[in-house]
Amino acid sequence: MSIPLPVFIAIPLVTAFVLPIFGKKGKDAATVLANLATISLLVLAVASIGQSGVYEIGKWSIPLGINLVLDGLSSLLLLAISVVASAAMLFSARYMEQYTAKAKYLSLFLLMVAGMNGVVLSGDIFNLFVFLEIASLASYALVGFGCEHEELEASFKYMVLGSIGSIFILFAVALVYGNTGSLNMAYIGKAIRDSGLNAGLSFAMALFVVGFGLKAALMPFHAWLPDAHPSAPAPISAMLSGILIKTLGIYALARVVFNVFGVSVSIGWLLVVLGLLSMVAGAFLAIGQGDFKRLLAYSSISQIGYVVLGIGLGGLILARAGNNISTEQLGWASLAILGGLFHLVNHAVYKSLLFLTSGSVQMSTGTRQLKQMGGLAEKLPFTRATCTLASASIVGIPPFSGFWSKLILVVAAVQAGFYWIAAIIVFVSLCTLIMYLKVQRYVFLGELPENLQQIKENRGSMLVAMVFLACLCALMGLLVLVPCLKQSILEPAVKVLTDGLEYSAIVMKM
Amino acid sequence: MDKTLLVPVFLPLIVGFVLLFLPNKMKSVSRALTLIISVITFILGIKIFTGGISSFAWPILQLDNVNLELLLNVTPLGKFVLLFAMGFGLLIALYSLKSQATNDERRAPNIYYGAILITIGGSAGILLSNHLLFLLIFWEIVTTSLYLLITTGGRNSNFAATKSFAMIGASDAAFMLGVFMVWALSGTFVISDISLTTTSALTIIAFLLLMVAAITKAGAMPLHTWLPTSGEYAPASVMALLPAAIDKLLGIYLLVIIVREIFILESVALSIVLAIIGTATIIIAAMIAIVQHNIKKLLAYSAISQVGYMVLGIATMTPVGFAGAVFHMLNNAIYKCCLFLGAGAVEEQTGTAEMDELGGLGKKMPLTFVAFLIAALSVSGIPPFNGFVSKWMVYQGVIQMGAEQTSVAANLWPIWLIVAIFGSAITLAYSVKIIHSVFLSRLPSDLKDVKEVSLPMKIPCIILASLCVLFGVFYKQLLEWFIYPALNIEPGTAIFGTWESGLATILIAVGIGLGVLIWFVGKLSKMVRIVPTWTCGEVQTNEQMTVPGTHFYKTVSSMGGLKQLYAGQEKGHFDTYNQGGKIGLALTDFLRWLHSGVLPMYLTWVTLGLLVIIFIVCEIR
Repeated sequence: MSIPLPVFIAIPLVTAFVLPIFGKKGKDAATVLANLATISLLVLAVASIGQSGVYEIGKWSIPLGINLVLDGLSSLLLLAISVVASAAMLFSARYMEQYTAKAKYLSLFLLMVAGMNGVVLSGDIFNLFVFLEIASLASYALVGFGCEHEELEASFKYMVLGSIGSIFILFAVALVYGNTGSLNMAYIGKAIRDSGLNAGLSFAMALFVVGFGLKAALMPFHAWLPDAHPSAPAPISAMLSGILIKTLGIYALARVVFNVFGVSVSIGWLLVVLGLLSMVAGAFLAIGQGDFKRLLAYSSISQIGYVVLGIGLGGLILARAGNNISTEQLGWASLAILGGLFHLVNHAVYKSLLFLTSGSVQMSTGTRQLKQMGGLAEKLPFTRATCTLASASIVGIPPFSGFWSKLILVVAAVQAGFYWIAAIIVFVSLCTLIMYLKVQRYVFLGELPENLQQIKENRGSMLVAMVFLACLCALMGLLVLVPCLKQSILEPAVKVLTDGLEYSAIVMKM
Repeated sequence: MDKTLLVPVFLPLIVGFVLLFLPNKMKSVSRALTLIISVITFILGIKIFTGGISSFAWPILQLDNVNLELLLNVTPLGKFVLLFAMGFGLLIALYSLKSQATNDERRAPNIYYGAILITIGGSAGILLSNHLLFLLIFWEIVTTSLYLLITTGGRNSNFAATKSFAMIGASDAAFMLGVFMVWALSGTFVISDISLTTTSALTIIAFLLLMVAAITKAGAMPLHTWLPTSGEYAPASVMALLPAAIDKLLGIYLLVIIVREIFILESVALSIVLAIIGTATIIIAAMIAIVQHNIKKLLAYSAISQVGYMVLGIATMTPVGFAGAVFHMLNNAIYKCCLFLGAGAVEEQTGTAEMDELGGLGKKMPLTFVAFLIAALSVSGIPPFNGFVSKWMVYQGVIQMGAEQTSVAANLWPIWLIVAIFGSAITLAYSVKIIHSVFLSRLPSDLKDVKEVSLPMKIPCIILASLCVLFGVFYKQLLEWFIYPALNIEPGTAIFGTWESGLATILIAVGIGLGVLIWFVGKLSKMVRIVPTWTCGEVQTNEQMTVPGTHFYKTVSSMGGLKQLYAGQEKGHFDTYNQGGKIGLALTDFLRWLHSGVLPMYLTWVTLGLLVIIFIVCEIR
């Protein structure tokens, strides 16, 4: 039985509008309802693995109507979104007790999820923009949810830069419509495959790269992230770093570049260079931070670099080979993209876990400054264990997941002959090691300060959320190690990107 | 296909991983499990050693056309090192039964036990792997377990743990790059299929990268600085297990593998590099060791210094040099482990490892004293103990290199030889210092009630000290049973200057007996008169008169030229970790300065980025 695709958008959207009715008195009921929504999305996402299909809204056939498309890449992202959203929502149940207006928070949270699911499923470029705006607007509000001076400033900066990104995207959509006469991605792709790119479309492509680059926080468009991510409440930081930048940024970028416009050598190089720049600069900046969440935020920039590098490298290999690509080169390209996408999923899990643990630490100690903490290993054993596990994954200590995704990227780089890229990947992993050693050293080891002698571990839903993600973290390596999981989850997603402009033909046939 | 090979690798790894997450209250469970599993792995080590050649293959991951297969192979060298690595694991598990580090719940005993097991499993994996990538994986697992173990050293160990992980992690990164370069150059990860001649620049870089990994783990200069720092703060049993024993075994094992199996060294420069690293390590570390005042830190520098002999032995590229290096690796692991365990026993009973606060413990802890003395004499290369034989073989390797080879490194052989022998003399000097200030000297009044340690902590010391004697006296048999087969050397072709250990040992024993006799005669005849010291009228009781060991060699540290070097060393000017950190921080500060938090500035970046991207994407020329 195939799942009707609008459900993925309808469930969070409807719940989001129902929740404010509960008001202050019904906030427990609202929490339960919101959790039910995210968990049902998780179940649906798991059920959608291996499926593909097109849903035409109102039975209007394309290109007249709007369609939703589920393919390998979408279902990978749907899965990642629902995993992170379920964990963050569960964590919020207890964590958000500190704030007022919990129902509004839950409502905004679900709006953001609805927006992201929409972006991932949309087969129409303008609708992609609309959903992207829904998710972005919800996230601007959530970053400033604490209403403190610092949070509002961060939210403002995020909104300014985010809106610039949105404007670029909108302008690019208009240019595309003007040049191809269609808003449906399959039809645009077909038009571009038949008649190639003209100057207007190339310009639109550049605008798309900048717009989605802003959403993905690639260097040099990253400046909003280190302010916005730490200022948000911890579960929202987990959502933003864990999945929002990937859906609105990386997914949309990859979809447009690979499936709609077709990847060229210059675009491939551009992505590789942007990825490397983000990796290196993000890592150095992260090492220098004294604020726990800010360190994690810069580390996100660095990790996003890996994802873009993997996808860009795959695109570069594909574009270099052109139409008469050999199976060997196709293999290299698939490997690079596999590394990138696997790293995307891994990062979604461990970075959201790290942000959740930072939230747990902040709730217990009341501070985010690394130097004001210490020796928390005895007081917060579960937070320590989960944080250490996530750190081991992100650093790439075998046999945890981060090791395998970086390994795949290095193997792909060496095979394609880019030894220097392999060297940079390894070097940045070393920087990652140093930044997480810093976290361990200042937060969990060392001397316990006088004023923190009485703190207690946070239990309840926060603990469940952290342990859930930690278990995933420990087991994620199986996604590539077990052949049937790899074939059903990651490989279809890779194939969507390596198929490139074949996308339009595939969608039209579905 | 021999599935038993999986057991010594994965049984400890899996159980160890589970133990990490147990609550602290269940420490007796983890203690029992650790002991049982280390016994099992030791028995398997014996079985693998005595058994024939077997192998196991398990395809793990197929990436495009790259096949990552877990290949476990029993090699002669691997099984020899495995036997002793498992033995050290067992001894440490035994020692930890009563050790304080594992009884203090705040120090996370479960992490300690879990990491010990992970170390055992990881090293078994390294020694059995025939696939470079899996060797690397197990190598990193052992690095991680070292980090976890150092963190159990109490509240001040966090810096030492971080530094060790950062430095060894950096060398692991070099290792990873090296592995991939070897793969790119040879097209395979299987160690037994690789044979690269170091003629091109790429192969030389690959060799150097792998060498960095090996010598950092073993602790040779200039990447040694994690060792003394962790020596100061980590529990003594941790130092005895990893940096003193298993890390040496693994580091030198890898060095031998890369020099003999993976690469064929054709480049003259590389053997000079190895020889310089070897001799510099011997002499510099020993010079630093003699001015240390903390037992564990002194022993850590001593451990570094001894690595120099192994590297030098390998640098000679002669059969006797290799045999000497591998034998020294084994001997060093034995006596250094014994020394650290002895130091741990002293620290445990007195609560301090500072020489200033110790003294006269020989009478209070006689067994520890004797074991420590034997190990200290071994490290100084006094016959008939084992350290003498292996150093003697390394010297022979250097002489043989000078006689048979014509390279520049070979022509410089007198320098290597003189430095190595001089280093041995300094070793004796610091051994005397530590023996004097801890066990002889005068007992401080607050240590009157010190007792000998309990049995599980004594047994490992006694076993290791007896091995020191046995391996020294019966060195010929030992070389024939263990070392020559491990290195595929024809017995009889290697060593040319043998000595009759049996006769010499009897003569030495007779000499010691005579000395004891003279001492007794002197004591019985009461010819020694003990009176208060005359200090121009001031009353000084004998209790106040001591010769502190910390004052030994003060003249060395105040010598012109050396004084400045010592001061710089003390401040960390020669520490690669500090210097690397400074460069990194400067870069970070520059980047942070760019992120001023001013919105218009960020908008400018976006605009500039947009312009550049338009130029690239629209291919405007």
